[in-house]
Amino acid sequence: MARLALLVWSLGPMLWQLYTSLRPTEALTGELHGAASWTLSHYQQLLQGDPPFLLYLFNSAVVGATSTALTLALAVPCAYGLSRIGRTASRGLSLLVAAAAAFPAVLLFLAMLEVARDWHLANNLLALSLPYAGLCLPLAILLLQASFRDLPLELEEAAVMEGMGLWQRLRWVLLPLMAPAIASASLLIFIFCWNEYPIALTWLSRSDLLTLAPAMARIAGSSVYTIPYGAFAAATVLGSTPLILLMLVFQRQIISGLTQGAIKG
Amino acid sequence: MRWRLWLLMAPALLWLVAIFAAPLLHYAWLSTQAQSVLTGLEPRPVGAEQWLRLWNDARFWQDTWQTLRFGAASVGLEMVLGLAMALLLHQPLKGRGPLRTISLLPWALPTTVMALGWRWIFNDPYGPINQLATRLGLGGIPFLSDPAITWMASVWADTWKTTPFVALLLLAGLQTIPADLYEAAALEGASGWQSLRRITLPLLTPYLLIAVLFRLAQALGVFDLIQVLTGGGPAGSTESLALYAYLNAMRFLDFGYSATVMLGSFAVLVVVAAIAALAFRVGRSTPGEVR
Repeated sequence: MARLALLVWSLGPMLWQLYTSLRPTEALTGELHGAASWTLSHYQQLLQGDPPFLLYLFNSAVVGATSTALTLALAVPCAYGLSRIGRTASRGLSLLVAAAAAFPAVLLFLAMLEVARDWHLANNLLALSLPYAGLCLPLAILLLQASFRDLPLELEEAAVMEGMGLWQRLRWVLLPLMAPAIASASLLIFIFCWNEYPIALTWLSRSDLLTLAPAMARIAGSSVYTIPYGAFAAATVLGSTPLILLMLVFQRQIISGLTQGAIKG
Repeated sequence: MRWRLWLLMAPALLWLVAIFAAPLLHYAWLSTQAQSVLTGLEPRPVGAEQWLRLWNDARFWQDTWQTLRFGAASVGLEMVLGLAMALLLHQPLKGRGPLRTISLLPWALPTTVMALGWRWIFNDPYGPINQLATRLGLGGIPFLSDPAITWMASVWADTWKTTPFVALLLLAGLQTIPADLYEAAALEGASGWQSLRRITLPLLTPYLLIAVLFRLAQALGVFDLIQVLTGGGPAGSTESLALYAYLNAMRFLDFGYSATVMLGSFAVLVVVAAIAALAFRVGRSTPGEVR
């Protein structure tokens, strides 16, 4: 019973979108009664729009991938350092990093707007990974540091005995063992960047460069007085599908990433 | 040896300072300037004028009230529902793995996507809830056009999206509680409710605290959801502090005041988080409960 309620609560709104997206507009407003009629026209409209809807998904994927790469490049060494630096320093720093993780990113948009303007980074998808990496770093550092700390110290000591330098130890001993944790962290970072809205809203204005979140808001604001809800629903379905697939494929890594973060963070 | 560790950490730490600390310092400076259309978008020092303006700005205080109301209601609901969801997902039931994934799906969706979806669900009269209500003879519910109701609709949508996240945090906490504690309690004849109150909740407190603080910070910065779901309306009744700061910069082109509103809302956030953390500490150190 409780399980069924949970299923309906979680999936109901999404299934309603799917249903709406396949119905002609007249059927939604009750002008068309009786015979069940279905249509793919809302999807055609989106896919053939200018710019085509899939471009937004592509842009989001590009931003997500570059931001994830940059975040990891910064977070992995930092997490290693934090896990080995000693108790007092690591405690204080971890607390600051945790505070940054909770900080609502929207409060940064004005400063980011000025950065984009003064350094001519607006409408540059790759440059968007600069603020995104900053926003994702706290979470990534907290997750990875906990995993570094779980690795047995003896392993590293043995590597030192073998005469391996710091870089070699990281590259050949620690990173392979960290692979699962890094995979979990990457997925969470990617999801965050895929979904991020306020900064994207201020950095991107050209419609062919929009990522999914601001594109969606623009679609939402495009027609206030008519009810193009079939098109809206088709957009939410198309916009949700990639992440739902990602969740289904990597469910174990994502869930373990979130729970690990909670236990040790 | 140690300096090499600091060297490894330096790039990330500097990055964090640049992204988080520098903007706040910049706002502190900008809040002492007038930078708007009136000054030709050039900053001009005005002392404490913006802060006085904030203090006397009825709209700022109304948005503060609205943001606090939204934060308290949604975080409160999310904790209760999240705990229930976590307890359910913790039980060794059939199909637990898939159920965990499915219940997490709302959390993974972009907020703007799900907000647009909810705008349609709340639609009066064509949304599914109102169609059902009409069929039951209850009449339409003006979810998005009645100031007394719309803020609750926004809480509902927020709860839908973020409860799974809370549930997963709490689930992680539940997994750290040894099962023999419950077995011992059951042997002593404790009811399910008693072991929830005496074992689960006390041991879950650190996780509840993390979830409350994290969610409070996010809820008090609510922006995406409100902008897409209601645009702050009707009659400004759902406008959050972050949306007001945004409008000041992007619509009124008043950057000096926007920075002041940002810092004002940050102060609200810090005060509320401190109160919440303190409340937990007091609640924890109250002896009477543990017997």
